[in-house]
Amino acid sequence: MFVLVQGPASAVESPLRFDRDIRPLLSENCYACHGPGTQEAGLRLDSAAEAGRELSSGSRAVVAGDTVASEAIARIRSTDPDTIMPPPQAKKTLSAEQISLLERWIAEGGVYEVHWSFRPVVRPEPPTATATAAMHPVDRFIEARVAEAGLPLNGEADRGTLIRRATFALTGLPPTPAEVEAFLADPGGDAYERLVDRLLASPHHGEEMARHWLDAARYGDTHGLHFDNERHMWAYRDWVVNAFNANLPFNQFTIEQLAGDLLPNPTRDQQTATGFSRCNVTTNEGGSIDAELLFRYAVDRTATVTNTWLGLTGQCAVCHSHKFDPISHKEFYSLYAFFNSAADPGFDGNLAATKPVLALPTHDQEKKLAELDAAIPDLRKALDEAIAALSYTDPATLDPRPQPTRTETLWLDEEFPPGADVKSSAGQTRWVVGGDPGDVFTGQRSLEITAIGIGQDYYQSGAAPITIATDAEIVAHVWLDPANPPKAVMVQFHAGDWEHRAVWGDSHAINFGTPETPSRFHAGPLPAAGSWVRIAVPAAKLGLTPQTPITGIACTQFDGHARWDALGMVATDDPTTNPQRSFLAWWKERTGKDTLDDVPADLRSIVKQGPENTTKPEEVEKIRHFWLGKVWADQPADLKQASVSFETKTKAREALDKEIVRTLVFNELPTMRDSFVMLRGAYDKPGEKVTRGTPAFLPALEVAQGATPSRLDLAKWLVSAEQPLTPRVAANRLWQQLFGTGLVKTSEDFGLQGEPPSHPELLDWLAAEYRQSGWDTRRIVRLLVTSRAFRRASGVTPEHLAADPENRLLARGPRIRLDAEQIRDQALAVSGLLVPTLGGRGVRPYQPDNIWEPLALPASDTSSYRRDTGDALYRRSLYVFFKRTAPPPFMVNFDASNREQFCARRERSNTPLQALQLMNDVQHVEAARVLAERTVAAAGDDAARIDWLFRVVLARTPEPGEAVVVAQTLAGHRARYAADPEAARKVVAHGESKPKAGIPTEELAAWTLVGNMVLNLDEALTRN
Amino acid sequence: MLPSAVARRAFLQSSGVSLGAAALSLLEQRQAAANNTASVAATPHRVHPPLPGLPHHAPKAKSVIYIHLNGGPSQIDLWDYKPGLKEYFDKDTPQSVLGTQRISTMTSGQTRFPVAPSIFRFEQAGQCGRWVSTQLLPYTSKIVDDIALVKTVHTNAINHDPASTFLMTGSEIPGKASLGSWLSYGLGSENDDLPAFVVFTPLPDIGAGQALFTRMWASGFLPTRFSGVALRGSGDPVLYLPDPEGISRADRRRMLDGLGALNSRGFERYHDPEIQTRIAQYEMAFRMQASVPDLVDTADETAETLALYGNDVTKPGSFTHSLLLARRLVERGVRTVKIMHRGWDQHGNLPKDLAAQCLDTDQATAALVLDLKRRGLLDDTLVVWGGEFGRTVFSQGTLTNDNYGRDHHPRNFCMWMAGGGVKGGVSYGETDDFSYNAVENPVHVNDLNATILHLMGIDHERFTFKFQGLDQRLTGVEQQRVVREILA
Repeated sequence: MFVLVQGPASAVESPLRFDRDIRPLLSENCYACHGPGTQEAGLRLDSAAEAGRELSSGSRAVVAGDTVASEAIARIRSTDPDTIMPPPQAKKTLSAEQISLLERWIAEGGVYEVHWSFRPVVRPEPPTATATAAMHPVDRFIEARVAEAGLPLNGEADRGTLIRRATFALTGLPPTPAEVEAFLADPGGDAYERLVDRLLASPHHGEEMARHWLDAARYGDTHGLHFDNERHMWAYRDWVVNAFNANLPFNQFTIEQLAGDLLPNPTRDQQTATGFSRCNVTTNEGGSIDAELLFRYAVDRTATVTNTWLGLTGQCAVCHSHKFDPISHKEFYSLYAFFNSAADPGFDGNLAATKPVLALPTHDQEKKLAELDAAIPDLRKALDEAIAALSYTDPATLDPRPQPTRTETLWLDEEFPPGADVKSSAGQTRWVVGGDPGDVFTGQRSLEITAIGIGQDYYQSGAAPITIATDAEIVAHVWLDPANPPKAVMVQFHAGDWEHRAVWGDSHAINFGTPETPSRFHAGPLPAAGSWVRIAVPAAKLGLTPQTPITGIACTQFDGHARWDALGMVATDDPTTNPQRSFLAWWKERTGKDTLDDVPADLRSIVKQGPENTTKPEEVEKIRHFWLGKVWADQPADLKQASVSFETKTKAREALDKEIVRTLVFNELPTMRDSFVMLRGAYDKPGEKVTRGTPAFLPALEVAQGATPSRLDLAKWLVSAEQPLTPRVAANRLWQQLFGTGLVKTSEDFGLQGEPPSHPELLDWLAAEYRQSGWDTRRIVRLLVTSRAFRRASGVTPEHLAADPENRLLARGPRIRLDAEQIRDQALAVSGLLVPTLGGRGVRPYQPDNIWEPLALPASDTSSYRRDTGDALYRRSLYVFFKRTAPPPFMVNFDASNREQFCARRERSNTPLQALQLMNDVQHVEAARVLAERTVAAAGDDAARIDWLFRVVLARTPEPGEAVVVAQTLAGHRARYAADPEAARKVVAHGESKPKAGIPTEELAAWTLVGNMVLNLDEALTRN
Repeated sequence: MLPSAVARRAFLQSSGVSLGAAALSLLEQRQAAANNTASVAATPHRVHPPLPGLPHHAPKAKSVIYIHLNGGPSQIDLWDYKPGLKEYFDKDTPQSVLGTQRISTMTSGQTRFPVAPSIFRFEQAGQCGRWVSTQLLPYTSKIVDDIALVKTVHTNAINHDPASTFLMTGSEIPGKASLGSWLSYGLGSENDDLPAFVVFTPLPDIGAGQALFTRMWASGFLPTRFSGVALRGSGDPVLYLPDPEGISRADRRRMLDGLGALNSRGFERYHDPEIQTRIAQYEMAFRMQASVPDLVDTADETAETLALYGNDVTKPGSFTHSLLLARRLVERGVRTVKIMHRGWDQHGNLPKDLAAQCLDTDQATAALVLDLKRRGLLDDTLVVWGGEFGRTVFSQGTLTNDNYGRDHHPRNFCMWMAGGGVKGGVSYGETDDFSYNAVENPVHVNDLNATILHLMGIDHERFTFKFQGLDQRLTGVEQQRVVREILA
């Protein structure tokens, strides 16, 4: 079946070619034992010198021109299981045809060639076209080969097919009917070229290009292992889109991703680009071994670069020298040494932004940040000065010791406690500033809550813990609106949990906790409305024992309108033991504690060690300073003011900092790690020490005299003028992207085990053109899509099918199933639902229930899927959040790569699960309904509507026979839904968007099924 | 059905193009399917045929049911009876036993490694007199004469994620093909209406435990159609299976008839064989919409059968329900069924949690073997039971008289197989007195995979797929062997 394309020469008259006919045969059957990695019996068959050398047995495997003297022939012809090659345990057998090929090769001189992809790229002259010398260079190669095969060439595809093919190929989207119409009506001879230029200038072009690159980069939105928590690096994804939209030359594209951090004064973009080497999967699994993780990450990064730029299966040399390609075990680790000093840790900490990261504040954020940064030092200074001006004597040190008193401490008066993260069920806390009686109880303002059902204002973090004193009684003051009184008011405290509540009024109105227990203690009837009433309850009734630290307070009410003021406790206050009065009491109480969240991180170890073990006066002073500024209950007014001002701005800065997007970047440790050959690929079996370097069979790495080679040197080497692999691999990837299959089908393997190119000269010509054009990616893309080969009709004749089933010769145009993203994007685009916004954090569109939940660790932050609403449902698939251990089903179903490892090409399968998805997924059913709305609105009668539907989805009008099928199907659906309006109502109700008014529901339901049918057409799912 | 017939006739008349014979026969076939929605119209060829040349030899088993206990069940408390450990209670595990073995970093910082003997009762069971914890496995201990126990399975990895990936795909590095995918790829399926490889992920009663990953049943480098299909415990058993609300079977049929006619015309236009495949896949999807609900509807099971499996048997998403469905799947010719049960990672509170896990699984596991046997299905169904590694003899955390935990232990753990060409009532491999080292006949997980392939009629060395320049095998590049000693 494959003979015409690239099979070995069997006809006597065609000359043998080592690359095509002999090497694959030797590589497949012999090199595993007699190749670069292993030399059984001292024999290597991968070079003329080695194969012809005299062996210890006295014989020679290959004697050029002499099959009889060649031991290799004797052995492969042998029937004795002890001597036959390959030996029985190899489970490889040479066919008679293969044996005679080898014989013929030896007879003809046993000539070896350097493997095709390792040879320098020399630009060949395109074959002279018989028709016209001005012919497109790509077609001169393609058509010469088709002519050689004696196949008929298809003509150019019709314009509808052409614009749909080009639009999908270049933007990943279908053309709009208006675009189709304009193209059909364009009389210009260069209409197609202008179409291509328009598409290349679209921002969606960068998105489509990026999609392919991100498979190689193994980009995902989670870490990929164990917890598989969210990871923030969509800025890298967006960088890739922008790079393609800016047509960043491929050499620069390479350098910035692999070594952007090493460029002089790297820009934000150049640093973001280094995310490429942070896309690998990482873990934080307990029990893992740091050294092993670091080893794995470095291996992954090395293998990804080796594969993505050089097209070599470097990972084979992790354990031993490559069996087929000339990469020795040591050479692999010399490459690995470039990545072995990564600054990121083995354990990712399950963090969204595992360091090193780059903060990417927006212009606005930068401004605010600068303002805060300017203000905070002054506030700090004011606070420090206020503290310095104090004369505080710890009551515990007084003699005689002060007597305990019955005192009132207010926690909520004018403000919540300093630093508290206040939340309100109403969205925002309201304060009443008043003059009228009833407005405030004491001071300037009171807290106001208006609720339907449960309303609360509360905090649970941020403030210093409050300590319950001995014999404490909780007190508060409330004013209930006589016109709208609540059913109940409740005071709640957070002390480890929220199970400490006292309620006045209907104790069943607020359904928290258990009645008649400290979690819902009924403290009394509803206070009288219309005046300020003091409410009080012993703290013990709420399960709050002396010394309990309180970390949150809530004022809660059910229904109604009320004001709250002066909330605190009345207690027997012993100033010598009260941690808010006595600094020493506070410190002793905190001594030995592990959780000191309210203490700044740099003070925690001192606080923990306690006053007894803190001997340095400056350390004691630091703690005391902190305590006075943040904890002390008796702060004078000016200090309190300074403390609140400082805390407010500091919190604001923290909040702003949290909002700023960060992205993982690649950096190197200041001191390089030593690298070793790892024996058998084991992280803990270092062998010979290695230094950074590149494989010997490739051009030499250029490094400044005496300098240690850097990643920047490596990146430059990959795109250097002498590098034979990168331009071939990169050009082939573009070909694969546009034509469906690469000139080298095994786009992930350009080594000896890979498939040789179908058109070796064309590949070399393209590689040379790419490099000589200054690595102008867009120019090559344009070149390929403007070729006749790309534009040909894709119909298959039996002759084509028999001679070239895979269409490697391109006598016909490429016909390939759309990719996962394109299929979803098409449904969104043709229905008009698509929200074409570029970039940003991953979105969560419709996804069936229980995709994440049954697999994920409950503690993972991606353990349960909450879909977004609104625009996020209709963004392009490039932006869909990709959880690597449970990827979106719409992607998996249509062969998207799992993004766990680099992926050079995707499968294109055809399964019943795909059919189920496209028929039944709410995303597609909703799209079919919205498409139906557009269809009905587009024209006045069925025929015109069917016509429009075909044009919007397929970029062509229906044949009469097709229109009849659609009309008949529509009639069937109509009759059915007319008879069952309830079913019709259900059909149009799928999805978040609401059906458009003005179309009868039964009619819309019938058209929805027609839309669903057309979106499921093979032709719709295919780039024809 | 009428409108579609009319549509087709109208199409043929007005399009001026005749449908080719192939397309016509597809239309007829579709009509046959339409008339009989519950089962397949007779098709001359299997939808998923085996690869040419496969099986390599006469298979002993046609199907595999693989019960994976994720987390690492404790071999010392279940199967590997070590009565001598009583005397070592809370004594340090001898250095001669610990040797230089890798210890997980969860316990490598412990100052001592006190021996924790199992607190569970062991007895000899069956004709074969197999030692087993009858306290934890009262039901399984009754079927020991049907199973071959391997006590010396070992693996390369010491943490869950890599060890599970290794067990399922023969490699710690994600991206390789799983066992079930290999079997689908090589042997195809006997059933045209159901996927060849079905997976269950029942949640244990004690909570989720460690994470699972789709890569444990993914096709890796093999085409994605060989990926396992996870039958879901809640919601639709197969993703996107039911027609959306408001669309009936007849509506879907009408839509598919229109679609089929248009796609057939598309085939006339392009002559691309993929179009014919697509038409066939839409019809299979339509049939699955009937065959999957039929599969999960257990109303036709007798009360006695349901009782055999146990309490949760009618609760979707439970282990017990999954095992009953596993039997129904192999009955229908499905090649591989994997049950991935989580929660076997007892670092602490082992006595309580392991007992709960056994309570959740023991009865149904034994019931499956018995049920297969009495239906004559056990002869050609291979049942496999085991986790990704075992657990340490020494306690992790505090050891008391009635409580202890155990860390991961990859060097020897127990798995068992039953049916499908396996010898019943045998035990293979021996461990030292501490269940810490294999002293006789170690069996690598890849040896076990080679054995499974062998029983399915496949020579694991010749069963390869070219990817990244290598002939990839499930059993990796190292020399592996079929464990012939446990074969019938």
